[in-house]
Amino acid sequence: MTASTLIPDTLQWLQGTRLAVSISEYWFPFIESLHVITMAIVAGTIFIVDTRLIGLTSTQLPFSYVSERLLPWTWGAFACSVVTGTLMFIGNATGYYGNTAFRVKMVLLLCAGLNMLFFQYVTFRGVSSWDSGRPPAKARLAGAISVGLWCGVIGFGRWIGFTA
Amino acid sequence: MSLRAFGNWLESTSLSHLIQTTHGAIADIQVVHIICLATLVALALIFSLRIAGRGLAVESLASLAGRFLPAMWTCIALLLLTGSLLIIAEPGRAIANKVFYIKMALVAVAVVITLWLAAVARREPERPRTIHVVAAGLYMLIWAGIIVAGRLIAYSV
Repeated sequence: MTASTLIPDTLQWLQGTRLAVSISEYWFPFIESLHVITMAIVAGTIFIVDTRLIGLTSTQLPFSYVSERLLPWTWGAFACSVVTGTLMFIGNATGYYGNTAFRVKMVLLLCAGLNMLFFQYVTFRGVSSWDSGRPPAKARLAGAISVGLWCGVIGFGRWIGFTA
Repeated sequence: MSLRAFGNWLESTSLSHLIQTTHGAIADIQVVHIICLATLVALALIFSLRIAGRGLAVESLASLAGRFLPAMWTCIALLLLTGSLLIIAEPGRAIANKVFYIKMALVAVAVVITLWLAAVARREPERPRTIHVVAAGLYMLIWAGIIVAGRLIAYSV
């Protein structure tokens, strides 16, 4: 095994494990269904928080209250999505690794995470000044970017099934 | 007209042909279908939690229902529209498929429970009643069942 073949060889080994074989031969439709349920909760709750951040919905409620009550559901569902997504990946590791839609989905997930971190540690610091009112332009922009990125995650996620 | 004949007729329509021959159309319609589904599931979850006295509990149930239900009905309408386009494009996947009918039966039950819970919200009980909390829990299980059935359609053609 050389450095250039390390990833393909590891994925090939992963795909040949007993767990991977049982997923691809039997469990895949059920794991995929769970993945769609958890992904729907992740993206849907993020849409609700983001539209509050943009200033379109729930404007009578403080932003921090909406995010505080909804984001635990988002994170819980996201953890389940990561587990189910990883199991789906193991079942066809080499196929997903070489799939462009899968790679774009992973990049968009990373961008969504970075957008969330930037918002949390930079923009959110001044939340007390706009919590019950209209959020500043940079917060609204973060919300709009987040909605776009998560629509992209769903879109490219679905396209994996048509191209893998 | 038998179901098979109806499916064959549907497949021969110009709309079906247009969707079938437009590159990526079926996948893109499915993407819109799933985005609407994600929005609806999250709205239904927050609505159900509020019925149980949790989630956005600082807002009255009637007020939250007044904001969420129009959005939920819009999502349901868009889901029916995009779902219909997918059936028109590939009638064979749905019309002769038992899982599709299970999904449709669950959708009908979900719509009935939505109407009922909407009426409950309008009356705005001071404290959540057990039957409403159980119905809200069942409501979320039904949406989960709809998603599972929707995904399993692809594996039972």
